[in-house]
Amino acid sequence: MPLLRMENITKVFPGVVANDGVSFDLQAGEVHALVGENGAGKTTLMKILYGLYGPDKGGIFINGQETSISGPRNAIDQGIGMVHQHFMLVPVFSVLDNIILGEERESTPKLLQRLYLDKRSLRARIAELMERNHLETDLDRPVRELPVGVQQRVEILKLLFRGAEVLVFDEPTAVLTPQEIEGLSRTFRELTAQGKGIVFISHKLDEVLQVADRITVIRRGKIIETMPREGATKAKIADLMVGKPVLLKVDNPQAEPKEEVLRVEHLTAADDRGAMVLSDLSLAVHAGEIVGIAGVEGNGQTELIRTIAEREKIISGEVYLKGENITSWDVRERREAGIAHIPEDRHRYGLLLSFSLADNMVLGRHHRPPFVGPIGWRKTKAIREFARSTIAAYDIRTPGETTPAHALSGGNQQKVIIAREMSADPILLLASQPTRGVDIGATEFIYKQIVEAKLQGRAVLLVSADLDEILSLSDRVCVMYKGKIVYEVARDQATKEQIGFYMMGAEHGDDNE
Amino acid sequence: MATTTSRRETLLRLLSPVIGFFAAIVILLVIVVAVGEGPGAAIRAILRITFGNPSRTATVLSQAIPLYIAGVAVAFAFQAGVFNIGVEGQYFVGGFVAALVGIYLKLPPIIHIPLVVIAAMIGGALWAAVPALLKVGRGVHEVITTIMFNSIAIYLMNFLVNRPFNGLEVGESLEPQTKAIAETALFGRLNGFFQALGWKIGDHVYLDYSLIVALMVGVVVWIVIYKLRFGFEVRSIGEAIDVSRYAGMRVKRVQVSAFLISGGIAGLIGLQEIFAIRGFYTYQIAGGLGFDGIAIALIGLNNPLGIVFSALLFSFLRQAGYGLQLYTSVPNSVSYVITGLMIIIIVVTNELVVRYVRNLRKREVA
Repeated sequence: MPLLRMENITKVFPGVVANDGVSFDLQAGEVHALVGENGAGKTTLMKILYGLYGPDKGGIFINGQETSISGPRNAIDQGIGMVHQHFMLVPVFSVLDNIILGEERESTPKLLQRLYLDKRSLRARIAELMERNHLETDLDRPVRELPVGVQQRVEILKLLFRGAEVLVFDEPTAVLTPQEIEGLSRTFRELTAQGKGIVFISHKLDEVLQVADRITVIRRGKIIETMPREGATKAKIADLMVGKPVLLKVDNPQAEPKEEVLRVEHLTAADDRGAMVLSDLSLAVHAGEIVGIAGVEGNGQTELIRTIAEREKIISGEVYLKGENITSWDVRERREAGIAHIPEDRHRYGLLLSFSLADNMVLGRHHRPPFVGPIGWRKTKAIREFARSTIAAYDIRTPGETTPAHALSGGNQQKVIIAREMSADPILLLASQPTRGVDIGATEFIYKQIVEAKLQGRAVLLVSADLDEILSLSDRVCVMYKGKIVYEVARDQATKEQIGFYMMGAEHGDDNE
Repeated sequence: MATTTSRRETLLRLLSPVIGFFAAIVILLVIVVAVGEGPGAAIRAILRITFGNPSRTATVLSQAIPLYIAGVAVAFAFQAGVFNIGVEGQYFVGGFVAALVGIYLKLPPIIHIPLVVIAAMIGGALWAAVPALLKVGRGVHEVITTIMFNSIAIYLMNFLVNRPFNGLEVGESLEPQTKAIAETALFGRLNGFFQALGWKIGDHVYLDYSLIVALMVGVVVWIVIYKLRFGFEVRSIGEAIDVSRYAGMRVKRVQVSAFLISGGIAGLIGLQEIFAIRGFYTYQIAGGLGFDGIAIALIGLNNPLGIVFSALLFSFLRQAGYGLQLYTSVPNSVSYVITGLMIIIIVVTNELVVRYVRNLRKREVA
């Protein structure tokens, strides 16, 4: 009998089916990896397991008993714990305090003891847990002084202290050094030896193959295949992750690149913590071509796009638009020079959610004629007329142009952004994850628009985690790895396997052939 | 479809202050009964002090003037996502600068009075400038700096009025104050105008030029926020700073401008008391209006039109408190309790309305 079984889970968000009849089970003593691209539905499935969303259909069984989970607190009471990608720890509290936080009362049943926190007996229990699982840490150190790997250990201890039998790890290795990853996989073995079950979410296939007993691939909300580790290969998983060539028909004629529009030279940048996110990256995009940036997320794609779209702090490098150095220009100057941008997170960067569609439709050009008159007076009529015609031209499903943006489905929201950016008549279009979380119908439409942009002679730089998307749209594919372009190939010579290897950090594609 | 939802939303939104008001009145009556008064007597007392005769109604209007300006001042910054808690200090400084212009310049009224108004705005804006620049330049949170600047302003005014600008002759008064403001800068009253319109208000009520100032502030701010490109950017930044930045707005510049405008408006709050009522400046002008402004802006949904109602409501409740004190044994402080409760009820109802409408909309497009 499996420790945990999720059966036929379906979850629909407005405009997108996040989980479509997903069944997933976990045996005691195994590591079950759940792999898939971002937006494939992994997170939704786990949030259902954690009680953050209720499923629209389907059931959850623990030890064969059907159950419902009302929230994280209830999940942990039923033995399900999650180690989040971003730790849920209080930095100024000691390790001990972090572990017992929220549990301190339940652990001391007597009324008097509820008032007085008996840390000594709690400490003894935790010490015992640490020893049994080889998770030694200094209980009195404040968490903020600990390295990330140890903080993760504290998260695991927290769950064990609460009696978790099922431990879900959401991309646990993303923040770890290689040594720490080694330690984590040892911990996995300790835990499974005690009969616990582990769900391991990752898109680093090497690690998945190293630690998982079974591997389930999820894609576009559906389980594609569940397989044992024996016989699984990186190539096979990668293949299943990105799926068969998209069923979407994209009529994408050969590009006829003309003059150079965008050139970035020797870009080098670091994040807040000083880690390199771009390292000596150079790239050019010509009018009339689509350059696709492939790569596992977090390899500098976001930073690259931002450096082109706005004035970012960089260590060195230059950005040129039609030969002019725009490195020090601000967003408005860049937009006026003809850069349009479909941002990767449309809620955070793309739309004023409580504002009308009309206002959203002119964003970025709201400050100049025909949308404002003398003394900066906004021409509401012109704005609404423009919005109405754009809504019609781009087939945006909305009750009207005065409807607030938050009322639209994800696909239609994305269409609003695309309509806005395209109607600005840009010379360079930056498209970042343009179809993330968008349904098939809207995806097809967005593909058409991107190809159309190219045919109109615009330069397009496309970033996507979806390799199919890259392959069906791009004329040239660049693979980014650790802030660098490690591979560049023309569309007709590109193969998914080759690109996949470079995405995983292979030095030379030939070695793997 | 959209129109029914929007119409329902507007209706519900307008309803929430009404609900808040009546709920607050009900609670008030409960307190009144608990104190041992009859609810009828309490209501009569409130109505008598507020609507007993035209002068009393006019007093509600008169007291609403500084409250209104305070509400709009706070709201303007709120619209840009800036929390200007420093309105308090800004009107102390603005009033002082205006008073100096009123005392030391000799000009015909037609120039002197507008100049005084401009001076008040400059004073308020200057006092907002340091927190504004610290915010965008150094990332210092404006709530902290403006609160500090409130204290600095009030004690600085205390010093200035006691020492360098003390205008008292020995033995004249115990209250430290500046010299008298020149005749040409004093705010005259509009009572005659209202009387001519048939509103029989007494001469003692202060319906002075500050009413015109408040009206102008309201109209101009409304136009700026809802009709001009600058106001659109202000609202956009208040809604989502990242989206605004991506749309090419110069976020810092707009926020600093909104902060300074907010401070400028704040500078006008004290004009009525200084130029119409007292005729000199003292640090003992009515305090706390800057904080009232926060609640007034909140209830008025940061809209200059909504703030007309919330300022009148505040003024009404304040008078109601005096009425209770005067005609019943209910203490005046009850009116503050009621005001607080009312704010909470309105804010909560409003939030419920917003959520309800959002759900309606979701169903509509789904």
